[in-house]
Amino acid sequence: MDNIVRSFYQNFIEDNRYQYILDGLKNTLIITFFAVILGTIIGFLIGAIRSTYEKTGKLKFLNAICHIYLAVIRGTPMVLQLLITYFVIFASVNVSKIVVSIIAFGINSGAYVAEIIRSGIMSIDNGQFEAGRSLGFSYNQTMILFIFPQAIKNILPALGNEFIVLLKETSVSGYIAMQDLTKGADIIRSQTYSAFMPLIMAALIYLILVLVLDQFVKYFERKMRNSDH
Amino acid sequence: MTTDKTPLIRVLDLEKKFDNINAINNVSLDVYEGDVLFVVGPSGSGKSTFLRCLNRLEKPTGGKILFDGVDICSPNCDIDIHRQKMGMVFQQFNLFPHMSIMKNLIIGPMRLQKKSREEAEALACDYLKRVGLLDRKHDYPNQLSGGQKQRIAICRALCMGPQVMLFDEPTSALDPEMVGEVLSVMRELAEEKMTMVVVTHEMNFAKEIANRIIFMAEGEIVEENSPEEFFLNPKSDRLKAFLGKVL
Ligand SMILES: Nc1ncnc2c1ncn2[C@@H]1O[C@H](COP(=O)(O)OP(=O)(O)OP(=O)(O)O)[C@@H](O)[C@H]1O
Ligand SMILES: [Mg+2]
Repeated sequence: MDNIVRSFYQNFIEDNRYQYILDGLKNTLIITFFAVILGTIIGFLIGAIRSTYEKTGKLKFLNAICHIYLAVIRGTPMVLQLLITYFVIFASVNVSKIVVSIIAFGINSGAYVAEIIRSGIMSIDNGQFEAGRSLGFSYNQTMILFIFPQAIKNILPALGNEFIVLLKETSVSGYIAMQDLTKGADIIRSQTYSAFMPLIMAALIYLILVLVLDQFVKYFERKMRNSDH
Repeated sequence: MTTDKTPLIRVLDLEKKFDNINAINNVSLDVYEGDVLFVVGPSGSGKSTFLRCLNRLEKPTGGKILFDGVDICSPNCDIDIHRQKMGMVFQQFNLFPHMSIMKNLIIGPMRLQKKSREEAEALACDYLKRVGLLDRKHDYPNQLSGGQKQRIAICRALCMGPQVMLFDEPTSALDPEMVGEVLSVMRELAEEKMTMVVVTHEMNFAKEIANRIIFMAEGEIVEENSPEEFFLNPKSDRLKAFLGKVL
């Protein structure tokens, strides 16, 4: 018991080492939050282009570009995407690491969000689309008034899960020496030469965040299902 | 017949190909105001495709469709405007499940025809009363039976004030005991001289309210006639065989 207390003191209290955890957590949350926003925007645009192409055959060229983007992002490791964004794309530009991380994770997440949105839209029976069009609504009006409000019930829970995945994915930010939660814990480990306390602490914090987010997603899911008429 | 009038819908050499399937071949037909035109034929003969070409839910690959004198197949035609004047009723109802019955009925008139909410609701109530479903206006589609849904779907189309109503097997998805309630709404419409194009397998209903019946097979109109002649004196062998099977 004494050992544990001393280890706790040494790893977190001494020299204010808990700051590494707090700063790391702050950065993890900032990266995740803005990457989610960027990913959602990209995902919506691409999901809209892809489903428009599938429904009408229009936007062929844009759809082809989206295909390439999806193939590249989903076909390469996240860590490499992060390294390339930092050391290749932004090599000669002075941009803070946190912004680079947000961009890299946002672009990555966008690919997965796009597929969630596309499949959400395509899951709605085509009869709904035809009913809207046959009344005289335009393609966009039909999408906005009839298709999207129904698709959102399938999309929101999947989107919530994507964000949980993203939160954990950001733990590779340390590869560009970005001090996120994981990196913060690792810095403590390198100073105190004890691995258990800082790493378990970081893992616990991720776990709690994920469990809380998971409850949110479940709550939403229930709400969506209840409003299902 | 009514050759002195100009037709409401004029179909000229209509053709529709899906990849390598010829769903519609060289179909020409005039529909006049007040016509109650029934389309019958075996499964896969192109009846639905033909009907869906009329409001361009399917894009024809050849020929012309003139609606009220306007070529609705030409690329610079604003099809959305014309669709407002052509009500469509689907086999699967296709009501909007996330909207109340009332919302289903007023969204078109309010958004597309800029009617006020009061005006649109008054109109919707009129139609709901006529089909006997006024008390269900705050319900959602999934709370209704199939026959009720289809009556609402007919109301939704009528609320747009269409010049013609297109029906694609409106009773085929219904339990037998619900067919009658939908047919009686359609019968009333026909009595009010609404122009109607109806695809159906209900031969007795066709005999009863149609003023013209066409028989389609393999993407072509094989025979057209008045209801009496159509059933009593079928000319082509294909129609004779078809009637032998369904009657
Ligand atoms: N979207 C489509 N893609 C490819 N082929 C199609 C499509 N829609 C219809 N077809 C084909 O066109 C032909 C005519 O089909 P259609 O649905 O118009 O027949 P129908 O007379 O309405 O039949 P049913 O009585 O079964 O409803 C069929 O061979 C069908 O397989
Ligand atoms: Mg059909």
